[in-house]
Amino acid sequence: MKRLLYQSASGLAVLGGVLALLIAVVTIVNVGGFAIDKVARLFGSHFPAILGYEDFVGLTVSSAALMMFPYCQTRYGHVAVDVFMNLFPSWFGRVVDVVSSTLMTVLAVFLGYMMVRGLLEVQSDNAMSAILGWQLWPFYIPGIISMFLWALICMTQIFEREAHV
Amino acid sequence: MSERELIGIGGLGVLFFLLALRIPVGLAMIGVGIVGNFVLSIFFPFLRFEPYLQQFKSLLWGIVSNYELSVVPLFVLMGYLASQANLSRDLFQGVNAILGRFRGGVAMAAIGACAGFGAVCGSSLATASTMGRVALPELRRLNYSPRLATGTLAAGGTLGILIPPSVALVIYAVTVEASIIQMFQAAIIPGLIAVVFFMLVIAIQVRLKPELAPIAAPMPPAERKQALLRLIPVMSIFGAIILGLGAGLFTPTPAAGVGVFAILAYGLFMHWRGKEGLSLTGLKQALRDTSVTSSMIFFILLGAEVLKGFFSRAGLPAFMADAAAHSGLDPWLVMVLMLFALIVLGCFMESLSMIVVVIPFFWPALVNINGGDFATAATAAYGMGAEDLKIWFGILALIVVELGLITPPVGLNVFIINALADGVPMSQTFRGVMPFFAAEIVRISLIIFIPALTLLVPTLLGG
Repeated sequence: MKRLLYQSASGLAVLGGVLALLIAVVTIVNVGGFAIDKVARLFGSHFPAILGYEDFVGLTVSSAALMMFPYCQTRYGHVAVDVFMNLFPSWFGRVVDVVSSTLMTVLAVFLGYMMVRGLLEVQSDNAMSAILGWQLWPFYIPGIISMFLWALICMTQIFEREAHV
Repeated sequence: MSERELIGIGGLGVLFFLLALRIPVGLAMIGVGIVGNFVLSIFFPFLRFEPYLQQFKSLLWGIVSNYELSVVPLFVLMGYLASQANLSRDLFQGVNAILGRFRGGVAMAAIGACAGFGAVCGSSLATASTMGRVALPELRRLNYSPRLATGTLAAGGTLGILIPPSVALVIYAVTVEASIIQMFQAAIIPGLIAVVFFMLVIAIQVRLKPELAPIAAPMPPAERKQALLRLIPVMSIFGAIILGLGAGLFTPTPAAGVGVFAILAYGLFMHWRGKEGLSLTGLKQALRDTSVTSSMIFFILLGAEVLKGFFSRAGLPAFMADAAAHSGLDPWLVMVLMLFALIVLGCFMESLSMIVVVIPFFWPALVNINGGDFATAATAAYGMGAEDLKIWFGILALIVVELGLITPPVGLNVFIINALADGVPMSQTFRGVMPFFAAEIVRISLIIFIPALTLLVPTLLGG
């Protein structure tokens, strides 16, 4: 079960990274469009760049970034001040880790739940992006999936035996 | 002090306590923010808790879909792609081909490569770790003193945070609502000064003690030519990003997008030609590493947003700003005390966490001391308006934050390099960074006394 969760997190992270690469490709097209437009204007012509580039980037990054959260948890990637705990016995570190993982689980569930409510709200408001006019609610879905996967991963870490140092 | 402010200060105390307990920074900030708001709503019923909670429906999504912050994962990805595509190694070997024949030249090349890699990486810890792996074996092979080698790389790693484009600069700019482009422009001269100073430190050390760095045998001409040739594409990519940003040709997100694409294309091309480059495994690893770093940053930003809401409701930033303005202390002493506090915190706190936790307190206090938002250069305590102060203080703050990375007893960069250098005592590495620490103090003094060093480029280029 744990392996499956970790593999899902890894897959989601790679997918998030691929979305970031997609932004890079779209950026090149956009910058290229601007460059061609500058040349075209010399000849009295016009070549439009991508309309709504900022909308596209913002929406794509929103999905990509949230898809990266579960994998970060599998790697204990969230920064913590790891200086003073070395002064305490390891059992105390284990207790802190259990508390920390439990709180993280609660937080991830809470954020996931609030995002579901947020999705329902933007859907009922028919909220759309400013230029592209894309519906916003579908872009909440990857985040919601990620939050609940993140919660499950945190939950597995509650039961780990060793203190994470 | 009112009850509200007392609750705010209590929250601040709890935050530091939780941080000391190794609770993740983002979690601690969110926890203190939510519980603090709940406590406020008990004592002050008009600060209702239920409406406050409703913001979480869109808070996280709002942060990650912010166009200005979209640059964060792209810059991070650029750094990891560069590392996986061996651009860091090409950079070091290329600079080494130029400087390596001088005494101490390989260490200087490591500094130059750190600056170059810092430009695409934007993280001091990642710069130290990557360049440590690349340059340390070479420095050891040439019998450089372990003290000089490890000290150089630990100090060189700190260049990552300031040389634009830097994630820390983006976060600072978003935190105080400054122009990201102007922050990048302002960092150029201080960054170059650091490179020159670090190289001077090496030159002086090897002049005084030649045994620290034996002169390396000249690189064979064919190898040298190869190294220089491989430097050209690397410098073209890095140079185009830095110059494009500095000259205002790009805004940060397109610059990062172009950088990612260029490094990806170059890495894949080199791999296709059978010259290492970027393999599919390397690409996947870069994507995964990007995930870890980006999530870590966004989680801290979420925490900062939640915490900011609590402290604002508690009236703490305004209280501290007022207290600083009426403390009767000399404005310059207040500035030095703030910088000193950042150095101390930097010894054990991660740089981005420090920026988002501490700067929201320091900034309003500085504005108040300076004479308010509309102070002019003639009337302001620091001799500059609020916009210039924002830029100048930001650069100073980031420099002292990075200084914390090489300050005993913790100094995260020192630990990273020391872990890579098997058998070198920690005390040797700390001794090795001390001359660089002294150079940093000189640089900070210069920037304090000559604000033009930071403000000149943004003024000339007009942001």
